Amino acid sequence: MECYSEQTCALAVDGELAGDEAQRLRDHLTTCQRCRALVDALRAENRVLSESLNELPEEAASPASFSPRRWSWGWGDLAILAALLVLGSIVSGWFNELDIPAALESFNPFSVSGRTNLIFNSFYYFAHGGTAMLADYAAVVGWICLLLLLAGSALLVGRRGRPHYPGLRLLIVLLALSLPSFALERRHGEFVTVTANETVDDTLVAAANMVRVDGVVNGDLLTFGRTVEVRGTVKGDLISFAQRTEVSGTVEGHIYTFSRTLDFEGQLGHSIYGLVQSLHIDDRGRVGDGIVVAVGDISLEGEVKRSVNIVTGGSADVSGTIGRDLTMVGRSLTLTNTARVGGNLSARVRQLKEVHIAEGATIGGKRDIQVRVRESSFTRPRFYFHQAVWLAGGILVGWLGMLVFPGFFQATTQLVGSGWLSLGLGVGVLAGVPVAIVVIAITLVGLPLSLMLVALYLAAIYLAKIWVGAFLGRILLKPSGATKGDWLLGLLVGLFILTIVGFIPYLGGLVRLGVICLGLGAFAGQLYRASRPVM
Amino acid sequence: MDAKRNMAKEPQPREGGTSQMEGLDLESVIERARGHDAEAMGEIYRRYVRRVFGLCRYMLDSRESAEDATSEVFLKLQRSIESYDRSIPFPRWLLRIAGNQCIDALRRRQRGRRAIVEVEDGAAVIEAASSEPSPLGAVISKEDRAKVRDTIARLPDNYRVPLVLRYYSELSYDEIAQQLDLERNNVAALIFRAKQELRRRLPHRSK
Repeated sequence: MECYSEQTCALAVDGELAGDEAQRLRDHLTTCQRCRALVDALRAENRVLSESLNELPEEAASPASFSPRRWSWGWGDLAILAALLVLGSIVSGWFNELDIPAALESFNPFSVSGRTNLIFNSFYYFAHGGTAMLADYAAVVGWICLLLLLAGSALLVGRRGRPHYPGLRLLIVLLALSLPSFALERRHGEFVTVTANETVDDTLVAAANMVRVDGVVNGDLLTFGRTVEVRGTVKGDLISFAQRTEVSGTVEGHIYTFSRTLDFEGQLGHSIYGLVQSLHIDDRGRVGDGIVVAVGDISLEGEVKRSVNIVTGGSADVSGTIGRDLTMVGRSLTLTNTARVGGNLSARVRQLKEVHIAEGATIGGKRDIQVRVRESSFTRPRFYFHQAVWLAGGILVGWLGMLVFPGFFQATTQLVGSGWLSLGLGVGVLAGVPVAIVVIAITLVGLPLSLMLVALYLAAIYLAKIWVGAFLGRILLKPSGATKGDWLLGLLVGLFILTIVGFIPYLGGLVRLGVICLGLGAFAGQLYRASRPVM
Repeated sequence: MDAKRNMAKEPQPREGGTSQMEGLDLESVIERARGHDAEAMGEIYRRYVRRVFGLCRYMLDSRESAEDATSEVFLKLQRSIESYDRSIPFPRWLLRIAGNQCIDALRRRQRGRRAIVEVEDGAAVIEAASSEPSPLGAVISKEDRAKVRDTIARLPDNYRVPLVLRYYSELSYDEIAQQLDLERNNVAALIFRAKQELRRRLPHRSK
C-alpha cells in the first residue's frame, strides 16, 4: 500500500483526521516503518512546540509584576514633556512681559481678549466652513435620532418590555419628546434673509455667512453665521453664535449669545445672557429685564430696566440707565455724568484708580467698591479647608465609582498609562465633543441627546483627575495587589500630588490641562473598548 | 482531559495573597464569579492572567499591546462569565475569548485587511513536502525551547497565529477556522506550512 503524505500524518497526529481514515492510517503504521518514523517525529515536534510555547517567556513571569501597569512613558517622553512645559512657561511669561500694541493684542493667546478672539475665530471657521453643510448635518443627525428611536422601540417591543439597559428606555423617551421639533424651519446658504414683508411661523434655524431678519419670526431664532442682523421682530428668543450680532429691531424673549461683538440698539423684552468679547448697548437700546454677561469690554449707553451683572476682562463703561443694581468684576469701571444706577453699585477691581465715577453720575443705593488684592491664598486657613474638601470629594467619588463600576474604573486607570495615545485622544475629545454637542443641538431633535452629552462631558472632566490620580498613585506606590484599598490609597496620594503641582504658576495650569486630557482620553478609550462585543 | 491538563498549568498563586479563595476548586470560584463576586473574579485573574498574557504575547507584537489585550480579556470576562456554559473546560473557553481579542487587535492594526489570509492554493501544495523527520523532533534543552519561542514570535501573523492557537490554546482546527474566519482546510495548510517555515528558520541542529 502506498505511504501517506506528511500532511495527512500531521493531521492524524493533531487528532484531526476523520475516524475511518485515522483507522486506515493506524493499520498502515503497523506495517510501514517509514511512516511510523514520520508520525513519531511529528508527534515529538508537536510536543516540542507545546512545551516551548507553554514555558512562557520571561516577561510573563509573574502576574504580580504585570498587574500594576508599567509606566509606558519612557524617560525620553518625560524629557520632551518637561522641555515643552519649560518652553511654554518661558514663552507665556515673555508674552506677559511684552508690551504688545493694542492692534496686535487680539493675537496674543495669553490675554483674555486674545483667547476669546481665538475661540471666536476657530468657531467662526468651523461654522463658516460648515455653513453649507451645517443644515445637512442637522438633518442627518435628526434622521439618525429618528432611526435610533425606531430601532430602540423595536428592540423594546422585541424584548417584550424587558430592556437589558435601563438607559435605553430613558433615551427613547427623550428622543420621543424631541420629535415635535421636526417642525422647525431650516435655512442655510451664503445669505439667509427674512424679508420685511415675510413672516416665519415656526422656530427658524439659520446657518449662513450672513443672516438678516427684516421681517417677523414668530418662534425662536437660532442662528449661526458671521454676521447676524435683526432689524425686524423675533417673537421668541434669539440664540446666536456669530462673529457679529447686531440687533436694531425687537426681540420679545431673551437673547442668548456667543458672539465676538454684540451691538444692541433695539428693544428687548427680557434679558441678555452671553459670552461676548465686546458688548455695546446703544443709547437707543432698551433691555426689558437685566443683563448677565461675561465680556471683554462693555459699553452701556442705553437703558436696562433691572440689574446688570458683568464679569469683564477689560473695561465697563456706563453712561446709560440701569434700573436696579450694577455688579461688576473686572479691570476698570467708568460711570459718566449721564450714568444712572437705581440700586446698589458693587465693583471688584484690581486697583482703585481704575474706577472712575463722574460727579454727575447718580447711584440710588450703596456704593461698594473693593480692590481685589492678589494676596497669596496660601496664607488663608479657608483655602486649606477648601482644598481638603475637594480632595475628600475626589476620594469619595473615586470610592463610589469603584463600588459601582469597579472594572471600568480600574481599566480606565490602567489605560491612562497608554501615555501619548490617551493624551492625544483626550485633546481630541476635549475639543471635539463641544463641537459635536453644538452640531447635535442644532437639530433640536438631538437636543436631549446633546444635553446628556454635556452632562457626560462635564462629569468626565471632573473624573479625569481621579483616574490620573489613581494611576499616578499606583505607579508611585507599586502596590502588590490590585484591591480596592490599594486603588483608593493610590488615588489619595495621586490626587494630593496633582493638587500641589496644580498650584505651581504656569506649570500648574498646563499640568491640570494635561491631566484632563489624559483622563478624558483614557475614559474615551475605555468607553470604546467596553462597547465592543465579547465573542 | 483538557481540564486536567490546564489545571496543571495554572500559575502558582502569588505569595502574599492571603485570599480565602486560594483553596477553592475552580468550579466554586467560577460559580461565585458568576454571581459578580469581585473576590472570585480576582482569583480567576490570579490563576489565569499568566496563561492569557502568554497567549496575547505570542499573538501580538509588543508587550504593551499584549498587556492591553490581557486587561481587555479580563474586563470582558466580567461581563461574559454568565454565558459560560461548562460545555468546554473553563481555561479553554477563556483562551478562546483571549484569542478573539488578539485577532481583533491584529485586524484593527491591519485596518480592516484580513490579518490571516488563506494560502493561495489551499491544501494541494503540501504534497511536495519532504518526508524527512522533523528537525524539531528530538528532546531539546531549555535554551532551545527559548529559541523555538523566539522563532515562532518572528513568524508572519499568517503562520504564527494558527500555530499558537493550536499548540498553546489547544484549539481544534475547526475552532481555529471559526475564530479566523477561514476554511478548515486552510487552517490545516497554514499550520503545516508554519511548521515547515519554522524548521527552515531554526538553525539546523545535529540530529
